[in-house]
Amino acid sequence: MNKFRSLFISLISVVLLIAVAGCSGGSSESASKSGGDGEGKKVEIRFAWWGDTKRHEIYNSIVDRFEEKHPNIKVKREFGGWPEYWEKMATQIAGGNAPDVVSMHQFYVSDYARRNSLLNLDELVKSGDINQDQFDEATVDSGKVDGKIYMIAKGITMSGWAYNPALFDKLGVSYPDPNWTWEDFGKKVEELKAKGIWGTQDFSGGQLQPNFRYFARQNGQDLFTEDGKLGFEKETLIKWWSMWDDLRKKEAIPDGATSTEYESAPLEQNMFVTGKTAMHQIPANQLHLYQEQFKEGELELVPYPNVKDGENGEYIEGAYLSITQKSKHPKEAAMFIDFFVNAKESLELFKVEQGSPGSAEMAEFVKPLLSVPQQKAVDFIQEVVPDARPAAYAPLGVNEVEQAFKDNASAIIFGQHSVDEAADKFMKTAEGILK
Amino acid sequence: MINPWGVDTSIMKSVLRKNAVAYLFLSPWLIGLLALSVIPMGASLYFSFTEYDMFSSPQWIGLENYSGMIEDPKYLKSIEVTLTYVLFSVPLQLSFALGVSVLLNRGLRGLKIYRATYYVPSLFGGSVAVALLWRQLFGGEGLVNKFLASIGIEGANWISSPDTAIYTLIILAVWQFGSPMLIFLAGLKGIPNELYEAANIDGAGKLKQFFSITLPMLTPIILFNLIMQIIGAFQAFTPAYIVSGGEGGPLDSTLFYTLYLYQKAFAHFQMGYASAMAWALLIMIAIVTAVIFASSKKWVFYQE
Repeated sequence: MNKFRSLFISLISVVLLIAVAGCSGGSSESASKSGGDGEGKKVEIRFAWWGDTKRHEIYNSIVDRFEEKHPNIKVKREFGGWPEYWEKMATQIAGGNAPDVVSMHQFYVSDYARRNSLLNLDELVKSGDINQDQFDEATVDSGKVDGKIYMIAKGITMSGWAYNPALFDKLGVSYPDPNWTWEDFGKKVEELKAKGIWGTQDFSGGQLQPNFRYFARQNGQDLFTEDGKLGFEKETLIKWWSMWDDLRKKEAIPDGATSTEYESAPLEQNMFVTGKTAMHQIPANQLHLYQEQFKEGELELVPYPNVKDGENGEYIEGAYLSITQKSKHPKEAAMFIDFFVNAKESLELFKVEQGSPGSAEMAEFVKPLLSVPQQKAVDFIQEVVPDARPAAYAPLGVNEVEQAFKDNASAIIFGQHSVDEAADKFMKTAEGILK
Repeated sequence: MINPWGVDTSIMKSVLRKNAVAYLFLSPWLIGLLALSVIPMGASLYFSFTEYDMFSSPQWIGLENYSGMIEDPKYLKSIEVTLTYVLFSVPLQLSFALGVSVLLNRGLRGLKIYRATYYVPSLFGGSVAVALLWRQLFGGEGLVNKFLASIGIEGANWISSPDTAIYTLIILAVWQFGSPMLIFLAGLKGIPNELYEAANIDGAGKLKQFFSITLPMLTPIILFNLIMQIIGAFQAFTPAYIVSGGEGGPLDSTLFYTLYLYQKAFAHFQMGYASAMAWALLIMIAIVTAVIFASSKKWVFYQE
């Protein structure tokens, strides 16, 4: 019996130990809950972002500097690649344990804001906790949903087409003209193919933006209307897919199987970097990452091809910071955001990591710190930004619409559907989702 | 003492006291069962009758999720893909495992080493690393094509072609034959040697012995392996998720049931529909298992 009793006691103590450990985790959180300015008290906030290894290093250092400056605030970091980032965040927000500060994007912000998952930042901006005085009006506006501020720009960027002049010289092909049209684009792709290299990878499907979005906007339409309906006509989609289908049939762009193989390849292994294609659509802020992969030649960026007599397709893209609705420390989260976008210690490291800094003052500040390709990217962004027009936010259900876009584009690529059939099917599905 | 339910509480108390220690020791498992299985399953059953996007509270919609499945072409496609996978991978894997275990059971020297070596693929077979390796092997410029090129055959882009992608995953499944192999080996050891001796005296050849002794004697083991592997195959997820980059592509040719379920839940935020899919899968697996059990009376031989 004695033996048994000691066993019983030890078992109980293990259970108690576990319970105590559980409590202590909870209580430290609740103890810091009240921390306004957080003087003296330890406060922990969590910050999440998407990106590659390089970016993780940079952001970790920025966070380290913030912690140094505010020893009473500890910032836990969560990061991952783009698709996992959003899947994880959706689950966390639903589960009520989302990070305090999250990286945001135009394509998703309306979804989260309208589901009441993000904090309206109007008050924190008005009180000066987050200072946006040095931000361009267009940049501030790009962080608004339904007239309220939900996100603060880390960096803004524009999409363009990159090419390697050294390669073009070697092939004896003239450089793309900055004022080109989609017809010129098609001709250039074929010309490159005649010299033995695919002009570009197949951008007909995949994500709805930026490529198809530019095309729709240039045709005077957009992906979505302000009230959340589909914003383009079937004819536009048919034109878009026909253009790519035509190039594919001429074998000027890769076949379906090859495209699929490279679909989810990381930057270092994509078709452009591995020398299989000659032109590539990229967000300008990534130019330096691409440049690092090329031993020979200095990459150049050109704006999107135009639709003849069409409108400007340009719109501001970028990466933003938001505070989640359920954050227990909105004040500290705001301090962190303010540091991230306004402090020299931060921007010194950020440079143009996710675009040209939102603050005009900081954009000037980082200029002398930039490498040549980064400088080129900033010049490109500044040159194209004046053409940008606002873009309607994505409605609920955008993920499914995008899936249908992807699916039907690959049905064309693999010859399962004709362009007309696929466009038909897409319109029906999308209108069903966005009804 | 009799309480309103008519139960003698003093007996109940003594029973409780008697079993308290047992329950205490069982408690970690019981808590795990409740927290990780029973409660989530109950929740998912409820969600399966609702429209639930994880952000707003669930809306009761009755059987709409279930009836919606029948009209969802992608859902039907995912069933087709999964059935193809089950129908090919399970018999192939089991025959392979049986073949290897019969070979290993011939009193080889160093059996332990072989056994361990052949089991290794199963250890990390379902992992992300191997799925990535598969991408490399069967890619357009992968090792398989390099080998084919060396013997003068021009290979296809196996993983990225809708016609062949699923078969690369089937090969991956067959390659993980370790655990059924071990079970078969144990089963083979259990067959009495006298049977073979008697057959030898009667002049039965090796082949005849295999089909008349080994196979019938192994049928209970085959039944066990069959059911376990079928259940596993229905629930396969990782290989398709990694090999197709989470999309189930090309052209939905590797859109496993669980992968589509995952997409619905975590990419499209349709938790209700995804929960309904999970329950439909449970029912499907239950039916298949029941059919196999029912048929087993006809082909499984119990030695008694």
